[in-house]
Amino acid sequence: MKFHIIAAKDLKIVMRDRNAILLLFLMPMIIISVAGLALGGLFEQNIQIGVLVVDLDNDDISKGLVEFLEDIDILDVDMESNEFAARDRVKNQEYGRLIIIPLGFTESVMTGQDTELLIITNPTEESQNTVLEKIVESYANRVSTNVVVIKTASAYGIPVYTEEQILEIVDTAEQFVQPPPVEVITESTTSNLSEYSPFAQSVPGFAVMFLLFTTVHIGSISLIKEQEAGTLRRLLTAPISRAEIIGGKIASTFLRGFVQLTVLMYFGHVVFGLDLGSDTLALLVLIAAITLASTGLGLMVAVLVNTEDQADSVSNLLILTMSALGGSWWPLYIEPQFMQDIAHFTITAWAMEGFYDLLYFDLGLAGIVKEVGMLVLMMIIFFGIAISRFKFE
Amino acid sequence: MNTDAIITVENLVKRYNGHTAVDGVSFEINRGEIFGLLGPNGAGKSTIISILCCLLEPTLGSVVIDGSDIRKNANNIKKIIGVVPQEISLYHTLTARENLVFYGKIYGLSGRALKTRVEALLDMVGLTERADDLLEGYSGGMKRRINIAAALLHEPRILYLDEPTTGVDPQSRRRIYDTIQDLNRQGMTVLLTTHQMEDAEKLCHRIAIVDKGKLIALDTQKGLLELVGESDLIHVQATEISPDPVELIKRMPDVQKVSLDEGNITIQLVRGRESLAGIIDILTSSGTRVESIYIKEPDLETLFLHLTGTSLRG
Repeated sequence: MKFHIIAAKDLKIVMRDRNAILLLFLMPMIIISVAGLALGGLFEQNIQIGVLVVDLDNDDISKGLVEFLEDIDILDVDMESNEFAARDRVKNQEYGRLIIIPLGFTESVMTGQDTELLIITNPTEESQNTVLEKIVESYANRVSTNVVVIKTASAYGIPVYTEEQILEIVDTAEQFVQPPPVEVITESTTSNLSEYSPFAQSVPGFAVMFLLFTTVHIGSISLIKEQEAGTLRRLLTAPISRAEIIGGKIASTFLRGFVQLTVLMYFGHVVFGLDLGSDTLALLVLIAAITLASTGLGLMVAVLVNTEDQADSVSNLLILTMSALGGSWWPLYIEPQFMQDIAHFTITAWAMEGFYDLLYFDLGLAGIVKEVGMLVLMMIIFFGIAISRFKFE
Repeated sequence: MNTDAIITVENLVKRYNGHTAVDGVSFEINRGEIFGLLGPNGAGKSTIISILCCLLEPTLGSVVIDGSDIRKNANNIKKIIGVVPQEISLYHTLTARENLVFYGKIYGLSGRALKTRVEALLDMVGLTERADDLLEGYSGGMKRRINIAAALLHEPRILYLDEPTTGVDPQSRRRIYDTIQDLNRQGMTVLLTTHQMEDAEKLCHRIAIVDKGKLIALDTQKGLLELVGESDLIHVQATEISPDPVELIKRMPDVQKVSLDEGNITIQLVRGRESLAGIIDILTSSGTRVESIYIKEPDLETLFLHLTGTSLRG
């Protein structure tokens, strides 16, 4: 295999180009710093997960749940008394999430009967839904202890008559389960939510935009230059396969992009204290998926245009549109829903959602499966189109 | 079958989108020969060389290079050919040495063998002292020399040169000729395409003349010139040329062919010196402003005009 020879040559050419190095690292670092410092407070109050609650029970434990939710800073809780009206408000996308506490919830808990809490969500805001589910689950686990205690007592014929007695037993039981004998490390309980930092938007946002300049703009132009200068044609007369030539071009663009995005994210971490989440592997997987998808887009642009000037115009148009639409310049969730829906056709939107999941919600590898899957799908489509239309002659 | 042939081309046809670029061309190139494909731009030379480089698949016909069919053994063929493209196919932000090392690695060289070969080629093209300068600072002629060196790294048996002297100064042209002749003396077979008569005349043992995709003549230079006989060629550079004097010149008794290309009139005729005064008279009396006129002995250009009725430069 000789693709690494082509990749190494491309990297050497880039490293020698002072402008390319500026575009790769220095310029993004300046823009990230300026944007993060200038727009710091602008989106802060918007990092809220809106949730509508219908409390059909309206008793001690259901009220306790509502208070528990209201105490969590990132939740914006609103009450609705009518279940059907509440469902309509979610259906009309006025709210993204609805919790319904059923009638008799408190009584069921206190008498040791199974019961349930219903969460209705808008599927387009998956990461926020996941956080809410984890919050509600953590409360449900606590009240489930009541049910387990009462069921266990009943199973052994121990009479449990009063609320005080139940609470006393639950308190005792909780002493044994806190900390739990079998510890399950979850990645999205409320305690794992990161402190809001304006750099959680500006660092990944601008880093992804500059990555697109590297992979789509420079990547496509590099291939067209190779065609226009005749070096591609010369390579084709040598004993090297077409796959190795294309593989070399892809590898060099991918490596440049991967290093750039990784360096910029760690720049945000070191200089501005940006929390990169607890799962380094997940972060690197996400960076790799974003870089692969954008490398594929760059190759597709190179194949579909005819000249360097066309590649320049088309890639700039794509990058700026994707950045504005997909959430590089402002958080995706402040856009109207239809724009958010359109944004999900872009690499940027899936990249930014992946970064929110890791940097803000700290959901780990399991939390970014959908985003990585979509980016890989985009990569397959872009590479598929590019390779099928590649003009070797 | 010619057992000396290292390249055998039979009834080669290449069509693109209904246009026939190469139309039934056949020839053989012998081992150790310098073989020229001569013809104007667009004659089909580059298409033929692209097929011989395994860049293009022929539509019809066969090409066998050193016993290997290009359709079946392209990879084997690529190992024994060196290709010098018409354009400078090098990386201008790398040094000459880095370019040669890169192409050497592509051809499978490494370590000491690669280093030795690169140094030998830099020495051969006279650029050892400038080897670590970026190519973007080189003159056109120096770049062309590195362009040739890059095709020789793997010591090919056959060297293809596509218009090797286009845009180079006379000194670099002389150096390129010397390099090609040295390589040929060492046993390398050379195929060059050119539209420059001088390249073909100075270098080639045999010349194939190509026009509009067809091979119209193939022989040694001497053999080809015999086809023209005693014809001379008169070149007139003029302005304000009207069709009338051209028609009058065509009717002169010794004139064989006349071609008009913008401000240039090319006349093929016997006993050119005797007709010169008459030609000038026709031109000046018709109001044509003659800027220069010169007479040439028979050469390949005369031959091309004789065979095709058009000027080689056209």
